[in-house]
Amino acid sequence: MAVSGFEGFEKRLELNFSGDDPEIGIGFRQLDFQSLEKVLHAVQCTVVSAVGNQYFDSYVLSESSLFVYPTKIIIKTCGTTQLLKSIPPLLHHAATMDLKICACRYTRGNFIFPEEQPYPHTSFEEEIVYLEENLPENLCCRKASVMPSKLSSHSWHVFSACDQSQMAMQKSPCDDQLYTVEVCMTGLDRVLARKFFRLPNDGKTGDSAGKEMSESTGICDINPNALICDFAFDPCGYSMNGIDGDRYSTIHVTPEDGFSYASFECVASIYNDIVEVLNKSVQVFRPTTVTVATTCTSHEVWMQVAKAIEPLGMKFQSCTVDDFPAAQNVVFQVFTGR
Amino acid sequence: MAAEEGQVIGCHSVDEWKEHFNKGIESKKLVVVDFTASWCGPCRFISPILAEIAKKTPHVIFLKVDVDELKEVAQEFNVEAMPTFVFLKEGKEVDRVVGAKKDDLHATITKHATVTA
Repeated sequence: MAVSGFEGFEKRLELNFSGDDPEIGIGFRQLDFQSLEKVLHAVQCTVVSAVGNQYFDSYVLSESSLFVYPTKIIIKTCGTTQLLKSIPPLLHHAATMDLKICACRYTRGNFIFPEEQPYPHTSFEEEIVYLEENLPENLCCRKASVMPSKLSSHSWHVFSACDQSQMAMQKSPCDDQLYTVEVCMTGLDRVLARKFFRLPNDGKTGDSAGKEMSESTGICDINPNALICDFAFDPCGYSMNGIDGDRYSTIHVTPEDGFSYASFECVASIYNDIVEVLNKSVQVFRPTTVTVATTCTSHEVWMQVAKAIEPLGMKFQSCTVDDFPAAQNVVFQVFTGR
Repeated sequence: MAAEEGQVIGCHSVDEWKEHFNKGIESKKLVVVDFTASWCGPCRFISPILAEIAKKTPHVIFLKVDVDELKEVAQEFNVEAMPTFVFLKEGKEVDRVVGAKKDDLHATITKHATVTA
């Protein structure tokens, strides 16, 4: 009889905006904290810590992460958060800043405990209905797809929508050199997962305990160039955001046996090698199953994934490909080991 | 001086900065400098929290420096991410907290603060 545990699998939402004024300036970064808090309240999470640089703001949340760029917002939340409920307030705030949504992408894996999810996340169908009802008409090009794998327990859900201007943009090889990698790991190695438990009465703060976990697990070595904002939850669990120029990386860990889960996500450039970064991040957890979804306008990045994962003794299981608006190619790969 | 205790003092010019920096050295108190930017969301998150901490720790001097207003000072302290809190004792950096980290801020202040009679 399966007992419910914490749902590590996240829901991820990315919203892109555009404005008529060429001088957008700081865009969404100007949003005052009270308003941001209200958005997060609708999703049922709170800010734990945060840091920003000249390019963007990053927030570690009680249930994952938030990244705010001038014209892009990325929210990733786990547990039983109602992530899609952030859309109406965010659209409202965009309007007050003369910004208009021009693209939206929603992705997630399979929930370990789907029956625990609240509205509108009880099913992908329900999520699609909610998105369709709450996104404005100008996002006229839409596509939803469940990308399967060889494992029935692991598939990748994608909903992508954009407006005419995004569809019409000429994508030259120099444009969109950045792409997103979303890694989901389950069945974490027990010994490695124990590093994400706090000792009772350790007298440390969540911030300092988080820093120690980043160091003892090698997470801080994944990208030595990144500034890390980390946090260790009580009695267990870990989150971190890494900021490196205009790029973010983020890791979230649910270490409990029976439903252990870890995610790694980053933005990478097609001109750089991600083999080492991917390899190092999966090595921290040595999971039994890894899924990697790459979203890119170019078609070759996915080939680096096997090069990173197979050396860890994991076996390639399947690769599913699909195209979404606008010219976003998603490749979903699954590897199993041990 | 008493009127400024328990408050976060904004430094808006190099002269103001130098004045408060020197006062800090003379008083031998712990000085916490909050390097902030108007376009940085995390700075807005921590601002009221810092003000609360300042109220409760009048024996610590809190200064606020906007990285655009006082570029040279920000550069001098190698501030790359915001907020950055630099802890000074007699003009020398003894610690820093990078990021809006409530608990770390509290703990670091407690660690370095000396209660003056």
